[in-house]
Amino acid sequence: MSRMNQIPAVDLRLREFMDEEGWGRAAGRRTYQKLLGFVDDHPGILIFRVMLAGVRRVDISFASETVVELARKHRCKKGFCFVDLVDSDQRENWQAAALRATQPIMSWNRNAKPIVLGPGPSQGSSDAFMFALERSEVRAAEFAGSQRNVSITNASTKFKQLWEQGFLLRREAAAESGGVEYVYLRVG
Amino acid sequence: MTDAAVRLLCLLNQLDYSTRRVTINFEEKKDGVLPYLERIGFFQSLSPSVLVLPRRPSGFAAIRYRGRNPSVVEIQRIYRKQRDDSLPKRLTRAITQACEKRRDVKELEEAAWTIFAELIDNVFSHSETPLDGFAALQVYPRGNCLKVAVSDSGFGMLDTLRPALKNEAPKLAALSDVDLIVEVFRQGLSRHGSGRGCGLKGCADKAVKFGAELDVRLPSARVLLVPGSQGYTPNRAFCFSDLPLIWGTHVCFTFNLTGRS
Repeated sequence: MSRMNQIPAVDLRLREFMDEEGWGRAAGRRTYQKLLGFVDDHPGILIFRVMLAGVRRVDISFASETVVELARKHRCKKGFCFVDLVDSDQRENWQAAALRATQPIMSWNRNAKPIVLGPGPSQGSSDAFMFALERSEVRAAEFAGSQRNVSITNASTKFKQLWEQGFLLRREAAAESGGVEYVYLRVG
Repeated sequence: MTDAAVRLLCLLNQLDYSTRRVTINFEEKKDGVLPYLERIGFFQSLSPSVLVLPRRPSGFAAIRYRGRNPSVVEIQRIYRKQRDDSLPKRLTRAITQACEKRRDVKELEEAAWTIFAELIDNVFSHSETPLDGFAALQVYPRGNCLKVAVSDSGFGMLDTLRPALKNEAPKLAALSDVDLIVEVFRQGLSRHGSGRGCGLKGCADKAVKFGAELDVRLPSARVLLVPGSQGYTPNRAFCFSDLPLIWGTHVCFTFNLTGRS
């Protein structure tokens, strides 16, 4: 987990908002309301690290109505990622729910490469996404400077697309030129 | 066999609910099905108004065998008025006992749990009937075959889906029953729009990994899907139409586990 961000983040222990098993759409909606309260109680926090310890199972409907819906609702403003999703069956169900909602969610695991649950980035922006994943934050100019044949404008377009699609977060920062530029943040 | 028993149970309860006088006659030879039905709890879920010949079993056999026979699991009633949150877990627990020597026992149990969870949740969400649904799991001896079945007595999956599709996706609405059932499980279609329906698709994806056949009985048709390399496809579907009316949606996945793991 040492590769994760230093951006304001909190742990969200999902088990505290649900039973041991997450079954069904109605139960998912009840859990979602509690999760929404938790997020509202943490203004200023950009990243919520969802921990699944104690969660035995979730079905796809429950997954759709909880973390996936939370990420979709807060897209571009706040990010949600998993940090201990090791169960392959659970991963399949979160993946199916994220795919249906076209909402990417990062999954970070100790000693393993981070993976995207849900839709992957487009072919044209995947290089920018991989670059962003290696850093806690990145500017378009940094990416453009590291690549051949990528202009700053082109890099900005890629990062903006990734932000709009829910792969990255961003915040405004002062540019060296005196204006404003965007700093893009990975989720996790 | 379990799936047939559950469908028969739904039919009898539907006939009884529609004020018909129903008699089921088991005056049969020694190898008849009555002892089997008694053991899986069929008569405990059968409406008390249905007349059983030669006599209605007491129900003690189901109580005696409940959870103790690894090759049979009882029918579980899906109480519409009081949701039992432990139902999918109770149904799948038998897999651990019956298939404990299989290397893929956990994967199998998790797949069955997700299928039960999604299908039973659909009974609560979509079936729109006062009659209870039923779920059943049967693991055959030596763990070579597993059946996962869920039935309800509602309007039927396609009868609720088609009207919604007419406005949102007319091309899909125009598909035949077979093609539409395939798309329900392949794409994940829902009357609630494109953001929903992923549950049934997820069930199918898990079942296809085990090469499971999918059998869907609709009010007057039955579709049997045999998976190929592309999962469930129309060219590997068998349809039986103009069947006797049984209300509801009756879904059964049959996992043929011979030679696996």
